[in-house]
Amino acid sequence: MSVPVAQMWTVATYVLGQRLRGRKRYPLVLMLEPLFRCNLACAGCGKIQYPAHVLKRHLSVEDCLRAVDECGTPMVSIPGGEPLMYPEIGRLVSELVARRKYVYLCTNAILLEEKLDAGLFTPSKYLSFSVHMDGLREEHDEAVCREGVYDDAVDAIREALRRGFRVTTNTTLFEGVDPERVRKFFDTMMDLGVEGMMMSPGYSYSKAPDQDHFLRRKRTHELFRAILDRPKRHWKFNQSPIFLQFLMGKHDFSCTPWGNPTYNMFGWQKPCYLLQEGYAKTFAELMETTEWDRYGHKSGNEKCRDCMVHCGYEPTAVNHTFGSLRGFRDTVVATVTGRP
Amino acid sequence: MIAPPDSVEGWEPDVAGPADLARVIELAFDYRGDVTVVGRDGSEWFGYLFNRSAAAPDPYVELLDPAGDAPVRVRCADIRTIRFTGRDTAAGKSYAAWLERKAAAKDA
Repeated sequence: MSVPVAQMWTVATYVLGQRLRGRKRYPLVLMLEPLFRCNLACAGCGKIQYPAHVLKRHLSVEDCLRAVDECGTPMVSIPGGEPLMYPEIGRLVSELVARRKYVYLCTNAILLEEKLDAGLFTPSKYLSFSVHMDGLREEHDEAVCREGVYDDAVDAIREALRRGFRVTTNTTLFEGVDPERVRKFFDTMMDLGVEGMMMSPGYSYSKAPDQDHFLRRKRTHELFRAILDRPKRHWKFNQSPIFLQFLMGKHDFSCTPWGNPTYNMFGWQKPCYLLQEGYAKTFAELMETTEWDRYGHKSGNEKCRDCMVHCGYEPTAVNHTFGSLRGFRDTVVATVTGRP
Repeated sequence: MIAPPDSVEGWEPDVAGPADLARVIELAFDYRGDVTVVGRDGSEWFGYLFNRSAAAPDPYVELLDPAGDAPVRVRCADIRTIRFTGRDTAAGKSYAAWLERKAAAKDA
């Protein structure tokens, strides 16, 4: 595990605090989408297909901060769209860091060096650039549908690390990926010096152009076992080891769709980061009016049948850690041994 | 129940009753292009229909108007039909097209 101790402590005290208050449902990471505009059009992405006038819009910093305060999570992930295209990204990050939120700025890194040169960001334990990397050069450039992006991202990662920033990678794995190539990719990222890696199987967005390359549940288990059964000592993952065990088929978890609530220009997205079944005006309305039992693998909902994505199941893994002595022991063992 | 065409882009459904309207609203909510909401009195609202609630005490749809800042809310009771007037931005095979371009570039 590569999550810094201070961050782990913050999350642990937050979760325990929620449990002590008897809250049955609480969020863990806010997915804050200030805009949908992006400088890539990846085949697996269902986030950016909107009319031009929608793509031109973005949230105000004040709207973003109101959402952060409303849901109160200790961590804020900023995906999009491409957040470095958000005109006020520097101010937004600065405000979040001032609130001691752990920020994961999810970027394709095409604009990262330019923004670093412009002085938009200051290194902080609260700020991590989470760079989208879907594999080695060939796989990544194919996933993002543009050649040269991998090399640009690697250059940007080096530069951000040189300047003292925390850098992690986030990887979405699709059908047909070669486990040995993924293992080489992990080696390459660790050699680059990133703090840790995050990964998740892809979700088959109904609006994504590529519908043929998403993993089904059994194949997901097989793939992640092939990748992670013999983990190398120097691999570091910036995510729950229990979630990685879940991907390998070692746990049968239910989804926690409220764990990573999503806020964007339409409002609070029902029920989760991946499905769009409507919007609530406030976080309280989202929590109170969403029929949560209709979602998740065990609900029988067709849209959730094969989903094993981090935004629904990593919160479950965190709950597992703090929900029982066995869960806590599992996490400690996996963390200490480095074996998910 | 009204039957939509394979592609709803350009579709101007003839809504016969509440069930048809409910179906058309769901299709418009799922559509990644602009639509024109046509009122019973002939008025029209154009924009991206991003939300709807059939469960609200007074069911409604919400649109983002290309010219305006704030969302526009229209009561379902006031809607005669919804025309799918904007381009479907989710249509197409960009991944397949990219693969074809890549294969063609390799062959060249």
